[in-house]
Amino acid sequence: MSRSSPLPPEQVLEVADRLQRSIGDRFRDQIVESIYDEAEAISNSVVRQQDAGGVDWEQRIDRLVTSPIFGLPLMLLLLALVFWITIVGSNIPSQWLAQWLFWVEAKGSALFDAMGIPWWITGFLWHGTYRGLAWVISVMLPPMAIFFPLFTFLEDLGYLPRVAFNMDWLFKRAGAHGKQALTMAMGFGCNAAGVVATRVIDSPRERLIAILTNNFVPCNGRFPTLIMLAVVFVAAAFPPAFASLAAAGSVVAIVLVGVVFTLAVSWGLSRTVLRGEPSTFTLELPPYRRPNLTRILYTSFIDRTIFVLWRAITTAAPAGALIWILANIQVRDANLARLIADALDPLGWAIGLDGVILLAYIIAIPANEIVVPTMLMVYMGVGMMVDLPSLSALRTLLVDGNGWTMLTAVNLMLFSLLHNPCATTIMTIWKETHSRKWTMVGALMPLAIAFIVTFLTAGIARLLGLV
Amino acid sequence: MDETLNLTLKGALLLLVILLAVGLPRLGLAAQVRHLRQMRRRVLLEDALKYLLSSSYQEQQVTSHALAGALDISHARALNLVAEMESAGLITSHTSGLRLTPSGESWAVQVLRAHRLWERYLLDEARMPLQHLHREAERAEHRLSREELDALDAHLGYPRQDPHGDPIPTASGVVPASQSKSLLDFPLGEPAVIHHIEDEPAALFNEILEMGLRPGSLVRLIERGERQLKMEIDGQQVTLAPVVAASIQVAEAPPPEPEREALVPLTELPDGQQARIQEIDASCRGYTRRRLLDLGLTPGARISPELSNAFGDPRAYRVRGTLIALRKEQAQQVLVKPTNQTSTPRNGEEHALTQA
Repeated sequence: MSRSSPLPPEQVLEVADRLQRSIGDRFRDQIVESIYDEAEAISNSVVRQQDAGGVDWEQRIDRLVTSPIFGLPLMLLLLALVFWITIVGSNIPSQWLAQWLFWVEAKGSALFDAMGIPWWITGFLWHGTYRGLAWVISVMLPPMAIFFPLFTFLEDLGYLPRVAFNMDWLFKRAGAHGKQALTMAMGFGCNAAGVVATRVIDSPRERLIAILTNNFVPCNGRFPTLIMLAVVFVAAAFPPAFASLAAAGSVVAIVLVGVVFTLAVSWGLSRTVLRGEPSTFTLELPPYRRPNLTRILYTSFIDRTIFVLWRAITTAAPAGALIWILANIQVRDANLARLIADALDPLGWAIGLDGVILLAYIIAIPANEIVVPTMLMVYMGVGMMVDLPSLSALRTLLVDGNGWTMLTAVNLMLFSLLHNPCATTIMTIWKETHSRKWTMVGALMPLAIAFIVTFLTAGIARLLGLV
Repeated sequence: MDETLNLTLKGALLLLVILLAVGLPRLGLAAQVRHLRQMRRRVLLEDALKYLLSSSYQEQQVTSHALAGALDISHARALNLVAEMESAGLITSHTSGLRLTPSGESWAVQVLRAHRLWERYLLDEARMPLQHLHREAERAEHRLSREELDALDAHLGYPRQDPHGDPIPTASGVVPASQSKSLLDFPLGEPAVIHHIEDEPAALFNEILEMGLRPGSLVRLIERGERQLKMEIDGQQVTLAPVVAASIQVAEAPPPEPEREALVPLTELPDGQQARIQEIDASCRGYTRRRLLDLGLTPGARISPELSNAFGDPRAYRVRGTLIALRKEQAQQVLVKPTNQTSTPRNGEEHALTQA
């Protein structure tokens, strides 16, 4: 093979060293340039483009959606529309799904009873494990099955990159990436999906910031809690004419608080543990396309809905079982849940909540959907998760029966917004970062923030004598 | 009887747990402590080697006292370290002081190489601010094995200079000589290019950065007095103290390219103005440069600003038929030459032009 006498290895290295130094820094540029030149030459020889003529719609739309006056309102309007369709549209399917799933539970447990199986097996399997599962599916599936296709529709249309373009200035100031706006929007659907969506951010530092702060966007699983509190407490404090407006306003306010925390924590992270320049922002604004329906359905159902649902199911079933055990093991004259709640009471009081709420949040780490049902179960002293009674009954139960105040409601909203992500999201953070450290930070940093913030609001409210 | 058995069992279990926690290989406490101590030892040894190397470059004598002072350890500890290094064949003692043996020197050069490669990596790939590089690299330089270091070098594309302008030693341990001189000795009036800015002490380094000076900046000395120097950079005059000027190394500037005169950064193009990309600034390296090139912003490509954000930043540019949004910082590094056309041609027209 060799045409000349072989050089000894040291000399080969030496020559390679010298040559490598003589190449200069530009050789990588030259490689890319030559690839592009080649591609351009090929495309010039085989592609003929017609002059479209007439009005350039794409440019007009672009000018509208990125305009200083209409850009931001248009974006908020679209986001609000997506929420509205999701919330209104999922109400009825959620009820149907719940009715059907709980009907199965009733039949199943009746069958077990008829077969003479001991009550505790029936209870553990049907009223514990199955009920937890059914609850999560019925609360979670319909909104996700509506939200994700809508979101994917906007994505496929080509609108979302324009949102990143509009919002980048805000994220740049926080040391983060404009595409974080997209992962946040995704987080409204599900934080785990939001964490996966951070893959679109190509710089590792900014991606990590987006992962760690995604939790500050309330997901579908937390929205029902926020809406319930807004209706039962905030709306009730206003005259009836303004009640629904006040309720909607308080939900929007809490979302904005979440956005403020996202930006503030991003800012803090990029100046401490994730220090670095606000880095390269390159974003392709693709041409608008007619969305492809089959692809939308495939992406939103298979990649997003089913993916999230499966992870939730694997964590919700054991949680349901645990809840049943806590509610049905009697120690002297109270069940285990009540005892733990009593022990947590002082800590709960310090942050303006109570022991039952804390217990519900501990049990609900696998899935936030079951916080309220678990809370009601303990308050009412029954053996399984129960549905919301009518709003007035709920108010009586919480305020008169269990000493809730406006402070409890506000702090619960804040805690729900800021506390640690659910187990599904934590697992996803682990899968995306493969780092024990960042998973811990992602789980514990929001928890610490939630405790500090609620502690402060409780302290201030008590100092001022508001409660 | 049962009671004692129970207690013994519990005690044994506890003992087992403690033993496991301490003695488990790799994860146990003892292994962790051992690892930590080994790391500390390596850091100390390598810092000593580095100090000896830089002293030998500056032809300074090193005594064990000087070593203790430089590493901030007690003299007794420094003596121990010297003995240890001597027995490992890394240094020899002479009447004139301590000297590196060839094997000691080649190790020291590798530590230097690790430090400078890390700085390159932290700036180009992790995009850390210039003033934080040195401290981070001081820690990171002791972490890599030789193979990992070679891999880092290859990953970075065998860079020749660190971000401060110091030459990076090669894998075989050759330290390329620098042809720069101190700003204090450079002739007046001649155009000079900054080659190197000393990164220690940090306060001085930050002061120089705040004046807008970077390795690669073009400067011209106007006046040199006892107390201060006057210098021109980018058409602006700055004054600096001699002690500041001493940490700046410069070399003769290459003759100005006539082409460069007509170049403007992408940020200064008005909306709709057509231009041709001439080059991407040399200070844009690593990840950012690759990204820009990958998106098709290669020299020769036609480009025009098309959309502005409400806040002026980022802007979107049409290049090769697609819209690419760039922040101000990236767009500034793309140097273009405006062409006469001001209309916004669509793909068809552009196509016709490239064929012509």
